[in-house]
Amino acid sequence: MSETRTETQAATQQPKLLGARVTRVEDPRFLTGNGRYVDDIALPGMLHVAFVRSTMAHADITGVNVDAAASHPGVHAVVTGAEMASQAKPITCDSLVPTWQATEYPALAHERVRFVGEAVAAVVADDRYIAEDASELVRVEYSAREPVASVEAAIREGAPRLHDGWEDNFFVKRHFTGGDVEGAMAEADGVLELDLVSHRHSGIPLECRGCIADYNRGDNTLTLWTSTQIPHLVRTGLADVLEMPENSIRVIAPEVGGGYGIKGHLFPEEIAVAVLARKLGRAVKWIEDRREHLLACIHAREHHHRLQVAYKQDGTVTGIKALLYVDCGAYSVYPWTSTMDTGMALGILPGPYRIRNYECEAYSVTTNKCPLGPYRGVARPAACFSIERAMDEVAHAVGLDPFEVRRRNLVRDDEFPYESVTGLIYDSGSFHEALEKVCRDGDLEGMRRLQEEARAEGRYLGIGFSCYTEQTAHTTNEFIKRGVPIIFGYDTAIVRMDPSGTVLVHVSTHSHGQGHETTYAQVVADQLGIPLESVKIAFGDTATTPYGHGTFASRSAVLAGGASLRAAQKVREMLVRFAAEHLEADPGDIELAQGKAFVRGSASRGVEIADLARWAYHRPEKLPDGMEPVLEAVSSYDADPGTGTFANAAHLVLVEVDPETGGVKLLRYAVTEDCGRMINPLIVDGQVHGGVAQGIGGALLEEFVYDENGQLLTTTFLDYLMPGATDIPKIEVTHLETLSPFTLEGIKGMGEGGAIGPGPAVASAVADALSPFGHVFVNELPLTPERVRKFVQQATGNAV
Amino acid sequence: MNQHHEVTLNVNGREHTVSVPPRKLLVDCLREDLRLTGTHVGCEQGVCGACTIIMNGQNVRSCLMFAVQADGANIETIESLASGPDDLHVVQQAFVDCHGLQCGFCTPGMVLAAKSFLEQNPSPTDDEIREAIAGNICRCTGYTFIVDAIRTAAERMAGEEAGQHV
Repeated sequence: MSETRTETQAATQQPKLLGARVTRVEDPRFLTGNGRYVDDIALPGMLHVAFVRSTMAHADITGVNVDAAASHPGVHAVVTGAEMASQAKPITCDSLVPTWQATEYPALAHERVRFVGEAVAAVVADDRYIAEDASELVRVEYSAREPVASVEAAIREGAPRLHDGWEDNFFVKRHFTGGDVEGAMAEADGVLELDLVSHRHSGIPLECRGCIADYNRGDNTLTLWTSTQIPHLVRTGLADVLEMPENSIRVIAPEVGGGYGIKGHLFPEEIAVAVLARKLGRAVKWIEDRREHLLACIHAREHHHRLQVAYKQDGTVTGIKALLYVDCGAYSVYPWTSTMDTGMALGILPGPYRIRNYECEAYSVTTNKCPLGPYRGVARPAACFSIERAMDEVAHAVGLDPFEVRRRNLVRDDEFPYESVTGLIYDSGSFHEALEKVCRDGDLEGMRRLQEEARAEGRYLGIGFSCYTEQTAHTTNEFIKRGVPIIFGYDTAIVRMDPSGTVLVHVSTHSHGQGHETTYAQVVADQLGIPLESVKIAFGDTATTPYGHGTFASRSAVLAGGASLRAAQKVREMLVRFAAEHLEADPGDIELAQGKAFVRGSASRGVEIADLARWAYHRPEKLPDGMEPVLEAVSSYDADPGTGTFANAAHLVLVEVDPETGGVKLLRYAVTEDCGRMINPLIVDGQVHGGVAQGIGGALLEEFVYDENGQLLTTTFLDYLMPGATDIPKIEVTHLETLSPFTLEGIKGMGEGGAIGPGPAVASAVADALSPFGHVFVNELPLTPERVRKFVQQATGNAV
Repeated sequence: MNQHHEVTLNVNGREHTVSVPPRKLLVDCLREDLRLTGTHVGCEQGVCGACTIIMNGQNVRSCLMFAVQADGANIETIESLASGPDDLHVVQQAFVDCHGLQCGFCTPGMVLAAKSFLEQNPSPTDDEIREAIAGNICRCTGYTFIVDAIRTAAERMAGEEAGQHV
C-alpha cells in the first residue's frame, strides 16, 4: 500500500527545477566553436567598412579630401560627415530633468570633433584590408580648439564650451537634501572631509562591437545584425534617426561575446553601417578592432567625490554632505542619457546604512573624451567606494573595529521595508547577517592569524571589507523618477507549445553569458510539468521576439523570468482545462508532471501532455467548448511597485602589499551574497565570480589614461591591463536567500553586484596592510604600483 | 601586396590549399577562407588568447602570424575536438559540468590552451593551471570555475588512464 502511494507520488510530482544547480544547456555550441557571433556571419556580396577617426580631441573640421581613397582599387564608397548628416539624424538622448543640456552625437562627425577616436568618415571596400588601406588616404583637415580633458578643466572659470548654446559644461546639475544635514554636522563629535577618485575604465567585452547591415531595395527593409544587449531599443533608435518605419527594420543580436552594459547602447557606427548598406544596396560589415574599442566605444566609472561625514564617538554616522562629479565625456548616450551615473550615485551613496541626514550635489560633466555609459554596477562601485572608505575612516577616528562600525550603522532586519533618505525602498535584505556570515565563511579569524604571522616576518598583509545593497530589476516608477526619456519597465515573453508538446519561449531580453537558455527553461518547465530538454529559449531577433528592453541593470531573471513564468502559467491553465475535460475531472484536481497531466493522487488517470498538444492543434473537436486551438500565451512583467528589489552582499579580502614595488597580491577573496530565491545557484556563483573579477580589475589594474590634450594613452592591451588567471584568487561564494516581497518567487537581480564590492574592499585591505607604516586614507582606484608607493610614503609621513 | 600565394594547410586532419595575399593573417585565413569561425579575434595583438590554435603541437596565437608562414603546418582548431554536442572532449565536458564559460567568446582558445597544457602536465596544481591560462583573458567567469574545470578534466583523464591499465 505504502509502495503504491510512493509510486503515485513519484509519477505525479516533478522535482522542482527552480532552485536547482542545473548545468547550462547552451554550453556545447560554444565549446565546439559553433557559437555564431556577428563576425561569423558572411552574406553574399558583403562589403567591409573601416572608419577614419579623429586624431584631435577638440577641433573644427575644415576639410575632408576623399579623392585618393575613393579612387583606390577595391573601394566602393567613401562617406563623410556631410553626406551622413543628410541621411541620418544624430543620436539624441535627452533627460527630462530641468537642468538638462542636450547634445547631438552624429553617426559621422560633421563640422566639429569632440573626442579622439570619433568617427569622421567611412570607407567601404571589398575587404577590410583594402578598406583600412584606403582609410589612410582620407585627408581630414582640422582647426584645433582648446581641449577640455578633465573635470577640472571643464568646470574652471572661462573653460571653453564643448557644445553650442550651453551655459556651462554640465549635462545636468542635481541637488538633493534630506533630513537635517546642518544639524547633524553641528552636533557631530567629528566631521571627516574625504576626497575620492575612481578612474575611468570599462567593461571591455572580449568580442569587440560589430554589425552587418543588409538593405532590400525591393521592399525597403533594413536588417541589422549587431552585437547588442538591447535589440529592440536599437531598432527603435534606428527608426528614429533613419526616419524609416520601424516595421521595416529588423535587428538581430546573435551570440554576443560579452556586454557588461557596454553593448547596451545605440552606436554611431550602427547607424553609419545601415546608411552605407542603404546607399549601396549591398550587405556591409563592420567589425571593430581593439584600438577602436578602447578609443571610441563606451567608457565608464570616472567619478570624483568629495564627502563630509558627520559621526558620533560611538561610530554612528549621522550625516553626509556629498559633492559628486562624473566625467561623462563628449556626448549623451542612447538610451540612457548622461545622467545615469550621477543619479544613481546620488541616490545610493548612503548604501546599506541608516543615514537620515544627507545632502548631495551631483554634476554630469562634458569633456573631450569618449562618452561615458553604464558598465556593470553603474555608479555603485564609486558610491560604495565612498561610503565604505568613509566607514573605515570613521572607525579609525573613533578607534573602533571597522566591522563594529558597520554593524552599528547597517539597516537592521526589523526595519525592512526600509525607505532610504533618498526615497529608495529597500524591500528586504540581510545586511547584518551577510557581513557576519562572510567573516565566518571567509575565515576572518584565520586571516587575522596569517596577518599577524606575516607581520612578524616583515610582510604586509591587509584585510578589507565592503558591504553594499544593489538596486536591481528597477522598472517603471524608478525610471520615471530618474527623468529618462524611455521608461525601462517591463520585459516580455511568449510561451508557445507546439503540436509535439515541446515549447519555444521567445523573450525580449538577450543572453550573452547569463545562461537564460537554462534559467528561463527551468522556470517554464516547472510550470508545464515537462522536462527541461523540452523547453527552448529564443531571443535576439526583433522579427520573432516580443518587444521589450533587453538585458541590463540586473533585471532579466526577475522581469523576463517573471514574464516567462506568467506566460507559462497561462499555457498551463489551457492544458489543465483541456486535461480536465478529457479526464472528466475537476480542473482544480489536475496536476502536470513528468510530461503528463494527472488527476491528483491517481497516477493511472492521466494523459500525455504531448497528446493534449497534438489534439489542441490537429483535433480541435476534442477541445472544451470555447477553448481556442493554440497553446500560446504572451505576458509582460513589470515587478510592482517598480522601485526595484534590493540584493545585498558583503565582501572580505586578504591582500599582500609589497611596499618596495607597490605590488598588491590578492591572497583570498570571499563573498556572501543575498539575491533572494536563486533560480540556479551555479549560475549565480558564476555571475558573482565574473563581477568580482571585473571589480578587481577596476581596483588594481584597469584605467584609461588621457593626457592634458585629450589623447588617450592606453589604446592596446599592453597599456590597458585586465586581470588574468594569476591575478584573481579563488573566489569563495556563500549565499543567503531573503526573498523579495515585490517579485514573483521572491527573486532578486544579481548580475552586477559582484563588481561593486571589490574596489572598497581592496582599498581597505591595502590601507590595513600599510598600517604598520602609519594610517593612510587610500582614496583612489585603481591601486597601481605607483599609487601604492604614494600611499606607502603618505603612511610613513603620517606616522612621523 | 595583393599578389596571392598558394598555401597548403593541414587543418583538423584535412588538407586545404588556399590562395591568400601575403599579409593575410592566419586567423583571417582560418575564419574566412576555411570558414572555421570557432577561432576568435579579441585583440589582434597577441594578448588576449581568443585566437589560440594548436600548430605542430604548440599553442599559437593565430592573430600574430601570416597565413603564408603556416604553409605546410599541421593545425588543430576548436572544431577538431568534438563531432557534435554529444561527443564532447573530456576538457569540454568538464567546462560544462563546472560552468567554466559564460559568453563563450574566449572559450575555444581557453579549451585548446587547457587541452595542450594537460597533455604536458597531466596532474597540475591549481597554481600551475592558473599559470598555464594566464595568457587567455576571460572577462566573464573570474577564472574560478575555469580552474575547477581544468582540474576536473585532469582528474577524469587520470581516471581513464588508470582504467585502461587495469
